[in-house]
Amino acid sequence: MKIAVCVKHVPDAAVTKRIDPGTKRLDRSGEGSLNPVDANAVEEALRIRDATGDGAEGEVVLVSLGPEKAIDSLRKALAMGADRVLLVSDPDAAGSDLVATSSLLAKALEREGADLVLFGQQASDSDGAVLWAAVAERLRLPLISQVAELTLEGGAVTGKRQTEFGYDVIRAPLPAVVAVADSINEPRYPSLKGIMGAKRKQQDVLSLADLEIEAERAGASGSRTEVLALSDPPPRGETRKLEDDGTGAEKIVEFLAEKRLV
Amino acid sequence: MSRTEQAHRYSETEEQQALRGAVADVAAKYGSGYWLEKARANERTIELWAEAGALGYLGANIPEEYGGGGGGIAELAIVCEELAAAGCPLLMIVVSPAIAGTIIARSGTDEQKTAWLPGLAEGTAKLAFAITEPDAGTNSHNLATVARRDNGGWILNGRKTYISGVDESDAVLVVGRTDDEQTGKLRPALFIVPRDTPGFDWKPIEMDVIAPEEQFACFFDDVELPAEALVGGDVAGLDQLFAGLNPERITIAAYANGIARYALEKAVAYANERQVWDVPIGAHQGVSHPLAEAAIQVELARLVTSKAAALHDAGEARAAGEAANMAKLASADAALLTLDRAIQAHGGNGLASEYDLAAYWGVLRVARIAPVSREMILNYVAQHTLGLPRSY
Ligand SMILES: Cc1cc2nc3c(=O)[nH]c(=O)nc-3n(C[C@H](O)[C@H](O)[C@H](O)COP(=O)(O)OP(=O)(O)OC[C@H]3O[C@@H](n4cnc5c(N)ncnc54)[C@H](O)[C@@H]3O)c2cc1C
Ligand SMILES: Cc1cc2nc3c(=O)[nH]c(=O)nc-3n(C[C@H](O)[C@H](O)[C@H](O)COP(=O)(O)OP(=O)(O)OC[C@H]3O[C@@H](n4cnc5c(N)ncnc54)[C@H](O)[C@@H]3O)c2cc1C
Repeated sequence: MKIAVCVKHVPDAAVTKRIDPGTKRLDRSGEGSLNPVDANAVEEALRIRDATGDGAEGEVVLVSLGPEKAIDSLRKALAMGADRVLLVSDPDAAGSDLVATSSLLAKALEREGADLVLFGQQASDSDGAVLWAAVAERLRLPLISQVAELTLEGGAVTGKRQTEFGYDVIRAPLPAVVAVADSINEPRYPSLKGIMGAKRKQQDVLSLADLEIEAERAGASGSRTEVLALSDPPPRGETRKLEDDGTGAEKIVEFLAEKRLV
Repeated sequence: MSRTEQAHRYSETEEQQALRGAVADVAAKYGSGYWLEKARANERTIELWAEAGALGYLGANIPEEYGGGGGGIAELAIVCEELAAAGCPLLMIVVSPAIAGTIIARSGTDEQKTAWLPGLAEGTAKLAFAITEPDAGTNSHNLATVARRDNGGWILNGRKTYISGVDESDAVLVVGRTDDEQTGKLRPALFIVPRDTPGFDWKPIEMDVIAPEEQFACFFDDVELPAEALVGGDVAGLDQLFAGLNPERITIAAYANGIARYALEKAVAYANERQVWDVPIGAHQGVSHPLAEAAIQVELARLVTSKAAALHDAGEARAAGEAANMAKLASADAALLTLDRAIQAHGGNGLASEYDLAAYWGVLRVARIAPVSREMILNYVAQHTLGLPRSY
């Protein structure tokens, strides 16, 4: 069983995010890390690989589009136990929007021909929660998103999908695309052996040319969206500050009553 | 300081930096709340030890062929520091993988290696280390624990004191003496004494130290040991004992450095938040400068600790000895200074149980005494580094 996991290198949670007014893009110069929910996708892939027990044949491939330094995040996933990396990195791919990103990833995934393609539900930087849908569409594969429980049986994948009011249970034939929610599992910590061995695992960095993608289909020229303007969110209305002199609770109740909220 | 700034990027490999991050993530799940709860209830940190062991962190320095990480003391020191920095200093790292692991890996017989190293690598086996005696602490020339040959085995007699973690260890690595058959003189030798060996008795010593480990007085009365209990067999000498001493000093330094970082982080958070006049107290230089000085001392101590680890791992025993001694003294001093100043920045809260700060004073204070006292390190540096005359 071959499982591809799409993972993204995102600005670290500890870094204050900033949009560069010149390029109108997120400033990605600071420290980065593996997109948190992508660690859940990696964990799920490892569990499937290890449970299906076809040993030598089972493989977890990490697929990512990003700058060269994305390798830092990918190494963390390798340390968790993934087998190898396919990083698409090319200066011409910078600034790719959803349309371009999905086409590049789809191309890389086609090359891998995995039985199962896993995604995290959403990236912590741009929060689109949509890339997997675009990729599945391009690959013409069935898609189950927001999956909180995943089982494989008889050449099909079943996903228990979290919804607002309960669960949907959806089955799809393999190969398929699945986006996982962070409730699906608890990602493992990398072991010392995993950490020490990560660097020695196969890590292919491919350019657009390697993937036989014309530069026009990537980056700004391959994108269909354009950021026209940026502005701060409107300031909040008048705020009232209550000092708690022991009557704080009463004052809050009074305020809520005033607004007819209680 | 962010986590990656804690790593010495110029000297630490990518793997070492990744290890730092991974250990910090695991340790954060436990934190000071866990450690202090165990310490105050006189319980052991079983869960944390088991998890760190299963992940291979505790066996970082154990050779790969025995299931260890195949790294060096540098890696083990990183583990030790990051756990402590999260408020979870584990003294048994210093004793079991650092001292006993190094000694057995370096001079154990094949049978001893096979018997002990895989367990040490995974943290499923633990060894205590006993050298200190009531009349031989600083002065190890006075060691009076003696093993004599008997029926192809050994009979061990003597006493040890302040031995950490006997209750939670499978066996104790005991430093004694045997008579050399050629010279007739007594020479140091190490024995592996399983905890339940008849004639071996151990009792806890009441200590005013809040810690999840205890110290014990050990009594060996005609303890019969098989020939295989002698570490390294008949060929090993004094070298084997010394092999464990630098790892011990380096990891205890890392332990202190970690606690120092823990205290500093708490102090900085508090000084940024607590307001007594019209600004956070951290704006007063009377508060910020002492903390800044502490940060500098801790960083210097961490540097010499990495240097000592690097020298040790490169096999430069002599140079590592000097650096390890300096690291141990510098780290204990820097950490005690830092903790004291962190407490001061907290005002009365610094001594309140709720703030998880003053409780670390005891475990940190130990680092000035054990495994080798501050005075003896100064003696060492005076004599060996500076070439000044010996006074004792
Ligand atoms: C004009 C414009 C310019 C942009 N320029 C850039 C840029 O320079 N750099 C940049 O990073 N983004 C850029 N973006 C954002 C980029 O288009 C989105 O990152 C991309 O569409 C994915 O959406 P998302 O991050 O919201 O992912 P989501 O849909 O929230 O992600 C879901 C999952 O998809 C997978 N995934 C997401 N991104 C990747 C990836 N790159 N490789 C592998 N798997 C992935 C992960 O599994 C993730 O959990 C730009 C967007 C616009 C509109
Ligand atoms: C919490 C704790 C855990 C410990 N764990 C272990 C363990 O696991 N295994 C183990 O074997 N031991 C352990 N020890 C013992 C520790 O190593 C000894 O306490 C230490 O080596 C000091 O020896 P001592 O207590 O006998 O002090 P002493 O030798 O009695 O020294 C008393 C004082 O005199 C000073 N002094 C002595 N000679 C000189 C000199 N020439 N010049 C200047 N000053 C001098 C010393 O520095 C010290 O301050 C532990 C101790 C503690 C407190």
